[in-house]
Amino acid sequence: MRYTILIALLLFFGVSLSAQSEAGSMLIKNGTVLTVTNGTMENTDVLVIDGKIAEIGKNLRAPRGVEEVDATGMHVMPGIIDCHSHIAIDAVNEATNPVTAEVWVGDALDPLDVSIYRALAGGVTASHAMHGSANAIGGQCETIKHRYGTYNPNDLRMEGAPRTIKFALGENPMRVHGEGRGIQPATRMGIEQVFRAAFSEAQEYQAAKQKYEAAQANDDNTVLPPQFDRRMETLVDILEGEIIIHCHSYRADEIYMLMQVCEDFGIDRLCFQHVNEGFKVAPELAEFGAGASVFADWWAYKFEVYYSTAYNAAILTENGVVTSINSDSGELIRHLYHEAAKTQRYGELSNDEALALITINPAKQLGIDDRVGSLEEGKDADIAIFKGHPLSIYAVPMKTIVDGKVYFDRNNDADDQRLDVDPEEVMPAFFLDVQDHNYENCMQGTYQTFNALFRG
Amino acid sequence: MLFLVCAFLAIGLSLQAQSVEDALKPVTRTYALTNATIVTQPGEMIEGSTIVIKNGLIDAIGTNVSVPAGAKVIAADSMYVYAGFIDALSNTGVPRPKNEDNGPRRGRRPDGVNPGDPPRELAGVTPEKQVRNDLKPDERSVEDMRKLGYTAAHVVPHGRMLPGQGSIILLAGEDGEDMLLSEGLSLFTQFEAAPGVFPATVIGVMSKFDELYRQTEQMIMHMDAYAKNPKGMDRPERDEALEAMAPVVKGEKPLFFMAPGVKDIYRVLRMQDDLGFNLVLTGVKEAWHVADQIAEANIPVIVNLELPDLPKDSKKKEGEEEDEAMDDEMKMLQERAAERMQAFESQAATLADAGIQFGFTAMDAKTNDIHASLRRMIEHGLSEDQALAALTTTPAAMLGVSDMMGTLEEGKMGNLLVSDAPYFAEGANVRFVMIDGHLFEYEAKKATKGNPDATANVNGEWSYTVEVPGQTSEGTLKLIDNSGEISGTFYSTQMPSAEDIENARLNGNELSFDAPVSMGGQRMSLQFTLVITGDTFEGTVSVGEFGTFDVEGFREGDPE
Repeated sequence: MRYTILIALLLFFGVSLSAQSEAGSMLIKNGTVLTVTNGTMENTDVLVIDGKIAEIGKNLRAPRGVEEVDATGMHVMPGIIDCHSHIAIDAVNEATNPVTAEVWVGDALDPLDVSIYRALAGGVTASHAMHGSANAIGGQCETIKHRYGTYNPNDLRMEGAPRTIKFALGENPMRVHGEGRGIQPATRMGIEQVFRAAFSEAQEYQAAKQKYEAAQANDDNTVLPPQFDRRMETLVDILEGEIIIHCHSYRADEIYMLMQVCEDFGIDRLCFQHVNEGFKVAPELAEFGAGASVFADWWAYKFEVYYSTAYNAAILTENGVVTSINSDSGELIRHLYHEAAKTQRYGELSNDEALALITINPAKQLGIDDRVGSLEEGKDADIAIFKGHPLSIYAVPMKTIVDGKVYFDRNNDADDQRLDVDPEEVMPAFFLDVQDHNYENCMQGTYQTFNALFRG
Repeated sequence: MLFLVCAFLAIGLSLQAQSVEDALKPVTRTYALTNATIVTQPGEMIEGSTIVIKNGLIDAIGTNVSVPAGAKVIAADSMYVYAGFIDALSNTGVPRPKNEDNGPRRGRRPDGVNPGDPPRELAGVTPEKQVRNDLKPDERSVEDMRKLGYTAAHVVPHGRMLPGQGSIILLAGEDGEDMLLSEGLSLFTQFEAAPGVFPATVIGVMSKFDELYRQTEQMIMHMDAYAKNPKGMDRPERDEALEAMAPVVKGEKPLFFMAPGVKDIYRVLRMQDDLGFNLVLTGVKEAWHVADQIAEANIPVIVNLELPDLPKDSKKKEGEEEDEAMDDEMKMLQERAAERMQAFESQAATLADAGIQFGFTAMDAKTNDIHASLRRMIEHGLSEDQALAALTTTPAAMLGVSDMMGTLEEGKMGNLLVSDAPYFAEGANVRFVMIDGHLFEYEAKKATKGNPDATANVNGEWSYTVEVPGQTSEGTLKLIDNSGEISGTFYSTQMPSAEDIENARLNGNELSFDAPVSMGGQRMSLQFTLVITGDTFEGTVSVGEFGTFDVEGFREGDPE
């Protein structure tokens, strides 16, 4: 009997889970709509049809069967986007080589990570799941939507989002490879050489492929292609502009260095991460067109991160750099709206400028601003509804919507949101990540590898 | 005792207590099992029937079969005969390499290796490997599986991401080659990272697999072109790993991909979608999420025989305060864990209901738990016929050996098992196993339950031995029965001093008590259950989560 109930339950779940990745429709009534790109509209409705924003205006009517959500007295904003996170992936660092462009965290997405739900509870609808910073050229990253509730890793992918890859400057790759193994890069100069050598090798690979393709076109079967090499394939794709570089960085000299390397190899899709000394090279970043994704006020966790300021985001913004504020943390991701608000205390950014740091700007840095990052007709219905203005210290996230479906609802927030329940362990172990705010999560996974590699 | 437990942990689970198996020298190669209930295949049963095995092959089955002259006759009255079981994937008979004693992930990177470009052996890329030269008929796992009724197995080498190729072996033979039935019929792969070298993560493994696969595609094209017209073309470089993968890439050989968890399963399905190999989804534990998708794609499946451990009965300690809020939360957590447990136990039934044919793999399961696992799956909706099919006909078909084994039919190999009750019944004992006409005989398990109507005298000083895999542990017990109030002390040679026993109870001739011990600063309780017969006892001791072990003892004298 219990068995039959269970099967019924499973079937029910099966149905509701597969429905979750489908798009939804709703009419959000009478809210204060913070479009971010088109100002603030009071007492305004947002009509969502099949996961897209169909119309924004006053006194809209819900089509038959479309549910109304009363947002009277609430603020309706685009879903928050985190440009730097490591949630929802089962592997962060393949720290075995200075260049590991061939690996891709999108291969190992973890839809069961409860951090996704916690992020939703902070109004975050999408994030950039990144490889770590152990290597000068790390692995490829994945832009995900927070469709929590599915067991299928593929459901998290933001289909159509451009490919991205993690690069890293400074102490992390120097320590792992230089100090740890006595190989290049042992210095910041060495890191530049790792980039240049990798891209030069990729150019040769690209040339060999082109030679092979030309011979094939001439029916010449004697020319062989270079042996398939995922690392080179990925680097060639960077050279050809198909992949956006997101580079872990702190110091201005190195930031400037990578811009020069990219210029030399004709690469123009570049975004810096952390970039604590970005304020020193803000005009240069703006001129190159490189993005900067920063912390609001987090630094001094290692030597190269002492020279920092909470005005960084504001200075970058004022200089015309596309700037975002990120979390790099499963905890901080829950209150990015507070992080954005800090730029009003340190730099007096306007509401729209501050909100842009966690919405349209990270969308631009990830190449998804045509889809998300603002409330505009035709865009994906990724929406966060707050009680209180999201930049207020009193802001409370009420509902978080992805593709027109509610994934977080404060009024319907069950105690236990785990998907991955251990049948053998009734009392789950909750770990507080003690590394948070002491050390960036980019190095997740490297301690073990480091020990295995060098201390074993 | 601490030493005992540590030793047990260090030795690992592969060692099992001594078996009572006895391989009989074949005086004759003709056997007749008479008057048995013969299950010729799932759902087909002949009662009061005889089966004759001659020279390793099934000669005759039926109720009117006459016993040939000179045959060794086994009166199998009231017993049940089944086709020998086939393990759809395991390392049975293949000793674990020494350098993996601590588990592949905890191994050390050897000196002088570039972690970014390690030798293939260390990276785990050895698809060319076969088990032929490693097979050992006296390997413990062979005996352990055989006494469960297994007669054949699809075995693969130990290793990491691409350990090697699958062979079909019989679980008996003079030597490795004698066991070998066929080799190179499959390729095996798993998400197993390398220790401190590339690929050290699951993303490294997936990238490496994809790269090897595409390199193999290139190599095949190059070899084909070169075979057609080598003029002006560089000769293909030989590469035994890629050559071993080539039949998989060409679709001539199935790829058995280990995918226990739901995320593993989705990852494998996506890789299969990208690359297009013939997939056998292997070792699944959480496939209920994807049953319909697997059924629709008609993907062969091998179900993992390892189930999560059932919770121990938690006894509330006397005098413990009840916290209502905590109880509500605990109740909710317990319900979720129980719900999840049922999902695991129902997986096989869910797959069967979706119309999926599957076999079982014993790769991850403790052999002692396999019978119980099968029973739990059956309690949760798998029919006995479906379970039997997953142990016999389905793996036989999957591995292409249906003409040889999987059912009891005239002309097929003499692979069978005889149990003293229907196999899936509680307490059923395998009494005979026959492989290729070789007979193995087993005793029924000892009764561990006491008789409540019997009487026993516990008074005295007793010596005991505990059988832990690979060793025995010794000590003494002093017991005093003070008109039904039993007290005493417990001492082990690994303990500094004796400890008083607790909660002692005598029911008929069954004595149970707890012996508290200190281990690594922690107190834990060993739970003894002993059946006393005269001046000897037999029974078990439960050592927390480490398992339950056999105990024997005898009375040395009266307590002082």
